[in-house]
Amino acid sequence: MDQIIQTLIIGLANGLIFALVALGYTLVYGIIELINFAHGDVFMIGSLIAFALIAPPSVGGFGVFELTTATPLPLMIVGILITLAITMALTAGLNAGIERVAYRPLRHAPKLAPLIAAIGMSFVLQNVGVVMAGSNQRTIENPFPTTNLLSYIGITDITLTVSQVFVAVVTIPLLFALSWFVGTTKQGRAMRATAQDPAAAGLMGVDINRTIAITFLIGGGLAGAAGVVQILYNNVTVWDLGFRFGLIAFTAAVLGGIGNMRGAVLGAMILGLVASFSDRYVSANWTQAIVFGVLVVIMVFKPTGLLGQQLADRA
Amino acid sequence: MSTATKAIGTGPGAWFGHIGDSLVAMQRGYRTALRRRRGRTLALTLIILLGLAYPVLHQQFLAEFGRNVFPLPLPDDTVMTFMTIFAIMAVGLNIVVGFAGLLDLGYVAFYAIGAYVAAFLASPHWAALGINLTFMGHVGPGAQGVHIPFWFILVIAVVVVATFGALLGAPTLRLRGDYLAIVTLGFGEIVPLVFKNLSSLTLSVNLGPINIVLENVNITGGVQGINPIDPPYLPFLDIVFGARSGPLAVYLGIFLLAVTVLVARNLQYSRIGRAWMAIREDETAAQMMGVNTVRTKLLAFALGASFAGIAGAFQASYLGATTSDFFNFSTSILVLIMVILGGIGNIWGVIVGAITLTYVNATLLPYLGQRVQDSALPLPNPAQYNFLVYGIILLAMMRFRPQGFLPDRQREAELSVHGLAEADAAMGVPVELDNVSVAPHGQEEVGPDSRAAETTDEARDL
Repeated sequence: MDQIIQTLIIGLANGLIFALVALGYTLVYGIIELINFAHGDVFMIGSLIAFALIAPPSVGGFGVFELTTATPLPLMIVGILITLAITMALTAGLNAGIERVAYRPLRHAPKLAPLIAAIGMSFVLQNVGVVMAGSNQRTIENPFPTTNLLSYIGITDITLTVSQVFVAVVTIPLLFALSWFVGTTKQGRAMRATAQDPAAAGLMGVDINRTIAITFLIGGGLAGAAGVVQILYNNVTVWDLGFRFGLIAFTAAVLGGIGNMRGAVLGAMILGLVASFSDRYVSANWTQAIVFGVLVVIMVFKPTGLLGQQLADRA
Repeated sequence: MSTATKAIGTGPGAWFGHIGDSLVAMQRGYRTALRRRRGRTLALTLIILLGLAYPVLHQQFLAEFGRNVFPLPLPDDTVMTFMTIFAIMAVGLNIVVGFAGLLDLGYVAFYAIGAYVAAFLASPHWAALGINLTFMGHVGPGAQGVHIPFWFILVIAVVVVATFGALLGAPTLRLRGDYLAIVTLGFGEIVPLVFKNLSSLTLSVNLGPINIVLENVNITGGVQGINPIDPPYLPFLDIVFGARSGPLAVYLGIFLLAVTVLVARNLQYSRIGRAWMAIREDETAAQMMGVNTVRTKLLAFALGASFAGIAGAFQASYLGATTSDFFNFSTSILVLIMVILGGIGNIWGVIVGAITLTYVNATLLPYLGQRVQDSALPLPNPAQYNFLVYGIILLAMMRFRPQGFLPDRQREAELSVHGLAEADAAMGVPVELDNVSVAPHGQEEVGPDSRAAETTDEARDL
């Protein structure tokens, strides 16, 4: 029982990081029906930027806001917030720039063209990653104390670490902020209108190009935040991280029903749990195969995803 | 041409007759081309003859020259053999992507299956389980493990891989466009993982009287893979086509490539080829015209896959070893780039794409890298950035020449017709194209029927 709850906690923490990346896929797919292959690599670039800012020079970072176990708490909070802000701004800009350079000129091309351009962009970004940080894994020391928070309330069999709480503290407000933005603001309404029918939205005075650019900005920002969380929680990054992670996140988006934001979060949580239970009870070697197995089964039996509706035919 | 467009009969006899017909048709076509466009045809013939002579020329003179006088970026035997392997795969993927318009991002799965079929059937691997079976092989009787001649393996690989193609295709082909792409991508990741992980299987199944107990059985060799695999061997002439046989292996590759090209050309101009084209252009309309879309797509998937099976079996036998590391997403994408670069839908185009890209990847970039290293200048090593080069190639191609360098004439025409419609639509002129009308602002609308509107959407896929 304890093991199951422990696996659950690990799965939920991983699921929250997946959710941030999956939202980027689902937002973009919802609005221009493009599988943005390069999105996982934007996340990877985000984690490398965060690594450069956080890691001390001894392990290859610049240590601008050096975070170690010795950093006092207020300084750590400020450091994390500034790192988040810088990384999110950079990846948001990067993602919007990618849209401007690679996808916008192809908006009226046959549908295969932007997908292949996205794959090309993914390769380019992976090489940027190699140039930034070399081809080996980069690791940092876990800057958070490793005390078990549950031991304060008398539970010692199950571990809840500070870093797991940190994941939730960063991720959940971002999810609510996104939900608020898309659900209530004027720009959010423009996004929903464009997703529903770009031509009609255009006729109603929505600036389509601007709306799509903002969607990419948001997706990139979320990927950057996921990158920061990744480096602080898993303490590791590498140039091809984005490919593996991106595939899982995309699977999550499809599982939930692509184009549906709540679905993406739900799918990410489910896949986080599937992955952690498979790591624990099957073998980490098989996790990736199991995740894709889930994807294939979902596609075959319910191509619209768990919460998706009429999108199957459009795909 | 009329002989080649005849419907395919049934049975192997009809198939061989068909290939005979098509050889005759090719001969006739060559004579016509020679009459009409003499210069171009002669130039092409010269290029092909030079290409055929090149492996021997390289072995006899050029390699020596490169070693002793001045290093040139010339492809060696291994690179040339891989050119043929990748060309076979490009021709196969072209059937799926180019003819039928199904985007397959997991083509490497079939390549891997083909390679492992060869590994299972021509190596000492199964000796560990006490399975020994040898006949007509290069290896003498009484050898450890299973040893079946390469030529049988080729046939078995085609059958096995086509079966897997159909099995993987059957549940997914209902999906359209990029959903299919992502599921094939999933398979492309799963299959090599399975080969990598099935190195110690412990299984105990008890079904009444049947009791299967496997304990720690090594099925795929895990990370080490399987070796040594017997090389292709021609019994009566006593020729071995292995990694050390120089140009001979290249010629075997060229022979296999020629066979696949012949089959692919036959398929393209057959009834089924036209059905593929119809589905690619407009699935709903094709269905209305009586094309069994599921069966046709399944055939494209299975036949396209079987080409990768040939390539995989040849590669494993040629190298004498196989590991799962060889088969990853980037290989799938590499083959896709070959198809796109050469010209989607055009067999000769994709072969040129495959040869060019293999050359750049395996000879030119390492050569430039070596030169950079020798020069000791602070320049980046180009061999390290091959995928950067591919990425930029993909981006630039999609932007400036999405039809590839040697596009299929038909597809090019389609592209330009659509381009016309788009251009007119942008000016607000509704254009009639057969049964498709394009309303202003690129928003298609055909009558009150929503399915029709969806149809035009499909027409814009691919």
